[in-house]
Amino acid sequence: MTPLEDATDAILVADNLSFTYPGGQTALNGVSFSIRRNAKIALVGANGAGKSTLLLMFNGMLRPVSGEIRYHGEKLTYTRTNLREIRRRIGFVFQDPDRQIIAPTVWQDVAFGPVNLDMPSDQVNQVVLTALHQVGLEGFERRPPHLLSGGEKKRVAIAGILAMDPEVLILDEPTSTLDPAGSEDIMDLLEELHHQGKTIIISTHDVELAYSWADTIILMERGEIIASGTPEQAFADKELVRRARLRNPVIVELYTELIRRGMHDNLQMPRSVLDMIRIIECDRHGGMQLNIHGCGKIHVLDIAHTNQATLESILEKYQIRTLGAMGSRAKICARQWGIIPDYTYAVIDKCILHAMNGRASLILTSGGMVVRALERIREFNKENNRSIEVITEIKSHMAETIPGNQAGD
Amino acid sequence: MIQHLLDEHAQTNAICHINPITKLTLGIGTLIITLISPSPVIPILSAIFLSGTIIFIAKIPGHFFFKLLLIPAGFTIISVTTIILLTGGDTILWQMPLTSWLILTISIEGIEKSIQILARVLGGTISLLFISLTIPFTDIIQIMNRIKVPQELTDLMTILYRNIFVLLSQATQIHAAQVMRLGYSHPKEATESFAMLCGSLFISSWNAGDDLIRAMDCRCYNGKFAPLTQVNPVHWRSMIPVILVLAFLASSLFIIKGGITQ
Repeated sequence: MTPLEDATDAILVADNLSFTYPGGQTALNGVSFSIRRNAKIALVGANGAGKSTLLLMFNGMLRPVSGEIRYHGEKLTYTRTNLREIRRRIGFVFQDPDRQIIAPTVWQDVAFGPVNLDMPSDQVNQVVLTALHQVGLEGFERRPPHLLSGGEKKRVAIAGILAMDPEVLILDEPTSTLDPAGSEDIMDLLEELHHQGKTIIISTHDVELAYSWADTIILMERGEIIASGTPEQAFADKELVRRARLRNPVIVELYTELIRRGMHDNLQMPRSVLDMIRIIECDRHGGMQLNIHGCGKIHVLDIAHTNQATLESILEKYQIRTLGAMGSRAKICARQWGIIPDYTYAVIDKCILHAMNGRASLILTSGGMVVRALERIREFNKENNRSIEVITEIKSHMAETIPGNQAGD
Repeated sequence: MIQHLLDEHAQTNAICHINPITKLTLGIGTLIITLISPSPVIPILSAIFLSGTIIFIAKIPGHFFFKLLLIPAGFTIISVTTIILLTGGDTILWQMPLTSWLILTISIEGIEKSIQILARVLGGTISLLFISLTIPFTDIIQIMNRIKVPQELTDLMTILYRNIFVLLSQATQIHAAQVMRLGYSHPKEATESFAMLCGSLFISSWNAGDDLIRAMDCRCYNGKFAPLTQVNPVHWRSMIPVILVLAFLASSLFIIKGGITQ
């Protein structure tokens, strides 16, 4: 459990929260933890563990029977004005988008919050456009929600919250009704929003998703927190995981089994396939590299400075067969250009894997995500003593402003 | 489901972007002309013209449009037959006394009257179908807002329109679950199943209402609904043909009226 005293940059603090439903059923029992600014938190637990109850307390939808919630160090009070302010700053996305979408067109629904916050109409227009842009739903303004797909509805629900510009985003089971591709898209969107500085809290019972995405995991069982910390810490105790009616992520099981079979303990549990490959390579004192030409190159393309013809000529010139699209803008571009990306989630990791295997790949992305891709690959090179070459197709004056671009040409 | 398709076509047809006032002018204009026309020719002209617009310009599939037209067909046939048989006239073609006070008669006047009514029903139905197939409901609400229909009413309509589809899909699911367990195999079971469907639908709409309030609270509801985005302005390129058609129908109306009074 994160000690409360350590939480100097805490944005939200739950202090000894308890809650009993009117029927007498205890939903939460002395829950305490704190959430850092710009954290990615996953509340993981079985059905009925109290995740949703806890989440609904953060924006004042439920009032704890005892204990308190502090937002930016201030105790949450339940006056009408204060609640409005809290609900604006802490956005809540319900599990079922059909229950959240109120209005009969996408535009009206996204505008619901801003209009009720008394924004002037041109500002409403502006924030709605921005929110739709963020979730990649431009051009959907006049569509009625009942004619949208599940993933699109989820995006509308998220846009409706983003339009109020919240600091914290809470999502209750964001992927439970979506197909795997839809889930990956939503998780990539959350990644993008996190990158823009939002604090994100989700609840889920999908351990794989929580393990690979979150930076803090809180395991819950019957209204109590039984473990919390980094994903590695939270899933370290098998007994606790079993008690919470969950299971360990496949990658953790694989790692444990390999250790039992004599692989050296790396002292750090793998978070992803990429981590696992690194650990195995370390153990074998050398690459499992299959290609004699060494590492493959990773091309990073900013959609703002490129077009379909350039992209196609690059793919042709460097014989690139693997393309990843990172962020909703890039995905829309790829769709418009009639290109189906091979990867739309955890793109950087997958491209590094390709590079380690001696194959070239290309990441299509935009804005700040370009920098993130470059930094991530540079970090990987440094940590692992690798020299994966990154080629950014950015105009020269832009390249200078980007840290870590020395790896490029 | 026909309701779903009707709405989908209204939202996606080829002329849904045209200003709703233009389309409403055409729909209501032809409706009025159809209703006041003393001759069956004008309603039929208007029906042919609007059907053409619906199928070829709005690109609504013809088979779907005709299926919609069949809905009032049964009702119309019964009424028209009754009118033919019960309207008396001078030129009697056929007569059959059923009882001393009820004599079935077919006369030229009766036939003329029934053709007149048939034409009106056809023309009127097609005018209304034109409105409901080409104007999204949200646009109609917007026009209501503009002509100062009370905000409370339009807000309620907005919520109703949004939730109708949620409840409809729920009803379909419950119905499917009942059919799968042979809930409608005998009349008695069918009655019971239907009652159960209504009951659970009532409970789920009650819950949906609670959820709606919660969702609205979560998003800082303060008594306001966002009005719809501005629609495209009235464009002369679409308005002029509408006015020409209405003018043509109206003038033929006067010519025929003149012909009758002479």
